[in-house]
Amino acid sequence: MKKKRNRVVAWIGIVLVLAMIATACGGGEEVDLGDAAVTTTAATGGGATPTTSGSTATTSGDTGGGGGVLVAAQGAEPDRFDPHLTSAYASFQVLENVYDTLVQPGADLQMEPALAESWTISTDNLTWTFKMREGVKWHNGRDFVAEDVAYSFNRILDPDVGAANAWRFGSVESVTAVDDMTLEIKLNRPTPNLLVSIGGFKGMSIIPKEIVDDGTIDTFPIGTGPFKFVSFSPGDGVVLERNDDYWREGLPYLDGVQFVAIPDPTVKLTNLQTGEVHWVDSVPPEQIESLESDSGVVVDRASGGDYHYFALNQNREPFDDVNVRRAIAMAIDRDEITLAAQFGAATANQAAIPQGNFWYEAIAPFATSDTAQAQQLLADAGVEDLTIEFLVTSDFPETVTQAQVISAQLADIGVTVEIRDVDFTTWLADEAEGNFDAFMLSWIGNIDPDDFYYAQHHSTGGFNFQGYANPEVDSLLDAARVETDQGARKALYDQAAALIINDASYIYLYNPDNISAWLPDVTGYAVRGDNAVRFEETQLNR
Amino acid sequence: MTGFVVRRLIQVLLALLGVSIIVFALIHLVPGDPVRVALGTRFDQEIYDRLVQRAGLDKPLLEQYFSWLSNALTGDLGVSFRSGRPVTAVVLERLPATITLAFGALFVALVISIPVGIVSAVRSGSKLDYVATAASQVGVSVPDFWAGIMYILLFALTLSWLPPSGYVSFAESPWEWVRHLVLPAVTVGLISGSILTRFVRSAVLEALNQDYVRTARAKGLPESRIIRKHVLPNAWIPIVTVIGLQLGFLLGGVVVVEVIFAWPGLGRLALIAVQDRDFTVLQGAVLYIAFMFLMINLVVDLLYAYLDPRVKYE
Repeated sequence: MKKKRNRVVAWIGIVLVLAMIATACGGGEEVDLGDAAVTTTAATGGGATPTTSGSTATTSGDTGGGGGVLVAAQGAEPDRFDPHLTSAYASFQVLENVYDTLVQPGADLQMEPALAESWTISTDNLTWTFKMREGVKWHNGRDFVAEDVAYSFNRILDPDVGAANAWRFGSVESVTAVDDMTLEIKLNRPTPNLLVSIGGFKGMSIIPKEIVDDGTIDTFPIGTGPFKFVSFSPGDGVVLERNDDYWREGLPYLDGVQFVAIPDPTVKLTNLQTGEVHWVDSVPPEQIESLESDSGVVVDRASGGDYHYFALNQNREPFDDVNVRRAIAMAIDRDEITLAAQFGAATANQAAIPQGNFWYEAIAPFATSDTAQAQQLLADAGVEDLTIEFLVTSDFPETVTQAQVISAQLADIGVTVEIRDVDFTTWLADEAEGNFDAFMLSWIGNIDPDDFYYAQHHSTGGFNFQGYANPEVDSLLDAARVETDQGARKALYDQAAALIINDASYIYLYNPDNISAWLPDVTGYAVRGDNAVRFEETQLNR
Repeated sequence: MTGFVVRRLIQVLLALLGVSIIVFALIHLVPGDPVRVALGTRFDQEIYDRLVQRAGLDKPLLEQYFSWLSNALTGDLGVSFRSGRPVTAVVLERLPATITLAFGALFVALVISIPVGIVSAVRSGSKLDYVATAASQVGVSVPDFWAGIMYILLFALTLSWLPPSGYVSFAESPWEWVRHLVLPAVTVGLISGSILTRFVRSAVLEALNQDYVRTARAKGLPESRIIRKHVLPNAWIPIVTVIGLQLGFLLGGVVVVEVIFAWPGLGRLALIAVQDRDFTVLQGAVLYIAFMFLMINLVVDLLYAYLDPRVKYE
């Protein structure tokens, strides 16, 4: 009897503990999944299976549509959906299709009208007046007005909001809506690249005030773009549906887009090859060749304004000596680095801006693998047994590969490279604190030359971590910033670039290709130079 | 009994406190901060300083910890730096996938380890025993990231039997739920199963060598009855202990496998939180993992009383 009672007590105890676990899991705050949770299952069917998800979509009448649901694989999960606060590429891949900017870069990266139909510039170049596009509606049905733009830009400018992109408004004095259809931007200095600053990137999206006020901007974004946000969950990813009221007549063609996050690159490609997804965001360069020979997959690439480089710490000896930096710049072989790190899917370049870009200028002062002259320069500088601690991050694995190749190349001139491979967050902290002999990374998404040079090479630039200070470069960059004549502006930047390259402030390596792949059923998509992912003209032929 | 449970729960709370201190100290030992990560590669210093101040990251570490702790004690685990959402919600939405994979993997592990372990103990020294021991050695040694990729290439790409990755909730489609679960559950389950097989085998072997088994044999009981009535009941305690540990481990998320199979579980959440220095989310995730582990241990201890009448808790 005693034994039996013991068992009963034990069971009661077990049940109690399990109940506690259950309440601990389910208790606490109510999880607010918004309206999203209700619609998720209806819209997507069997998770990441294109065939099932497409079948539930309804064909809409006259203006395009009926194009099925495209399943797109992205390498990471979006963190949040507030375009002014996120810095995650995965979030922008989604938001690119939900939000609009005032103006936007076209396929050639020249700025085109978007929510603004046209604009005029005052004779003193200090007032820009934008005319809004008529008949644009938010996804919640409200009419889009100039006040929405003023609200969005002032939000980015408000330091309490903490928008990283506030720097793009460095010359902006005020943003005001004159009436429903007219916006006025006043500047404190002429700003020839204003259009790129306010529209070159979806971090400058125009948002409606109401979703900030009710706090849903991070969970349920409402824009004016080609697709409406439906839901997000870690399992199903992001579900978007066609915006029937989109301001570009007849677009988009697709009924919807589903973004699923697949972190492992091999598994991501397997999902494409098995038809689980229609499109993958990036392809590791080493896989291009095998994929291009696979007739079941389309691979496309485009080169943009991205560039890879490394920089030597000019606050440390002996890298403060320009000849030491030049010696290193001429001892390396950029083609070899490019081949090793990108399997040829890149173009070696001693400058930042790639050929084909309006701002390109052929500047290539250094010979390749000129070990004799490099050794001479080092000897003249009195440098012996030089060791360089190279800061790289395996979160961007190409930086590690490049450092290894550079290490072998510099061994030829008697320079030792010690590679310090850390995670990216540590890398950022070390870079900011000047804790390196050399660091290596890339800059992405640049369009205007001011983006390429000012923050990195002006002596007061916020990202001049290598400690470069050349008064001539400073005055050229300051002058180019306010030069409104395009030709004269380019001439200023060409001079500045020549100095930056000759002084080896950055040692530029190459411009990489942006690469995506998709199934042959997908048409109307092209890889863009700025790596923006836009599905508004994409079609799915089933 | 009640006293025992209460005492253990107090211990659990103390352990959680210790865990939170360790996590807090560790993540602050490594360089980097969440504000820099959130701002991306380009921003004004003024914005950075203001965000650091607003998040309280400029305060002394002890003060930061106690302000977190005082909120945590009221059930508020704070807000994720990365997503701006409450930590509780961020952790909870990962639980279904985590629990699914944990029990799926445990199921695979038990189906393999219990029969194989028992048979190889009973037939100890036989060819079958050697094969089983060797197989479990292989199972423990093969790295999960490699095995996972191989299963995907074989069963998804080459044979097209199963989807390569992803998670579908049971509510959405039970059939797709199972299909997506198979590969990750097998990847993890084979490893857990290999570990468990060895424990089952040694526990049964030990029970087989006890005097009461010799007695039972001496009085002429059939071998099958000896195994069922005398050996297994005595072997259960060590086996249940190890199963509990395995389950606790699995419920903490299996980082590598979750990454490979794009499985939206806790392990991936914790990994991203570490990468982004998202202190609050990491604390939340680790506290949950520690809590599950401790609770399962408690359940296992209570199970002892059921399995072994000699065990009493006062």
